[in-house]
Amino acid sequence: MKHTDTDNRQVAFFGRMTASITHEMKNVLAIIKESSGLMQDILAFSREETCPYEDKLKDVLHTIGEQITRGVELTSRLNRFAHDPDENIRKTDLTDQVEHLVALSQRFARLQNVVLKVDPPKRPILIETCPVQLQMALFTGIECCLHLMETGGQIYLSPQKQGGKALIRIICEGDDPDETAFGELLFKYEKWPALRKQVEILGGSVEPDPSTRGISISLPEKIPV
Amino acid sequence: MKVLLVDDEEDFVTALAERLQLRGMEVQFATDGETALRHMETNPPDVVVLDMMMPGMGGGDVLKRMKAGHSQTPVILLTGHTSIDAGPAGVQQGAFDYLVKPVDISELIAKMENALRSGKSE
Repeated sequence: MKHTDTDNRQVAFFGRMTASITHEMKNVLAIIKESSGLMQDILAFSREETCPYEDKLKDVLHTIGEQITRGVELTSRLNRFAHDPDENIRKTDLTDQVEHLVALSQRFARLQNVVLKVDPPKRPILIETCPVQLQMALFTGIECCLHLMETGGQIYLSPQKQGGKALIRIICEGDDPDETAFGELLFKYEKWPALRKQVEILGGSVEPDPSTRGISISLPEKIPV
Repeated sequence: MKVLLVDDEEDFVTALAERLQLRGMEVQFATDGETALRHMETNPPDVVVLDMMMPGMGGGDVLKRMKAGHSQTPVILLTGHTSIDAGPAGVQQGAFDYLVKPVDISELIAKMENALRSGKSE
């Protein structure tokens, strides 16, 4: 895999700093959670004293609780992402990586009225690869599909095992683009060459699949070093 | 139940202490490892809830010192993201169990009750 030591050090630096900050963010969320929990307890344990805004306070505390749960989920995702550069190459479950990247990318899709979904296989697909490079390639694949889906819809990511290789199909479901124009539009998109290069670094290949209006990324079980 | 909470985040530990007190528990807290060990000697708790990541003497060091002193008090570890492997590792070092922060109070109480039961059955 062609990465310079400088590239690796920079990615590791970003990862380390981000991981540390997410740890602090989790402490912040823990304090908010216990503080709002204490307010709920006070309301619940002081039944004899009437509070004129009890229902409103309960609603607000419920909202705070929901947002804490959301914050914890986002922080956990970000922390995991930050730890991805800890090992340049490692054995990983492809489906788990795809689900993780889809969770991280939902906001990009939502801004274009697109929903990202994973169609998981029944069994884990273990591959030895570079997690950071894999995330980049999957994200660029999603970006390519988003670029072609002007009116929104759904994008399915389907990890599969095919022979001795791992296959990720990124499938567009929506009104556009047209099957016949799919390949041509994809080749014209500025990020398509980047996607090809990212997948090549992983030792794989990428092809448009006009019949499903999708992209097929094929990866080796073990990245060539 | 007498509980010792140990966490360097004072706002966290005081709020959690009050919540446990409201549920009838006797709670003392410490915001560093040295103070926690002093509490252990002067007013031994039934259960210790111990944060792994603290400045100075971390939770792992406190746990080691407790075990070196043959303490039988069950310990429940609190871990964050960056120390997620520290929970299982801490259990291998003698902690009763662990939880990932932010904690769910019902889950924490259930673990503390389990810890107390297991201590009494030994």
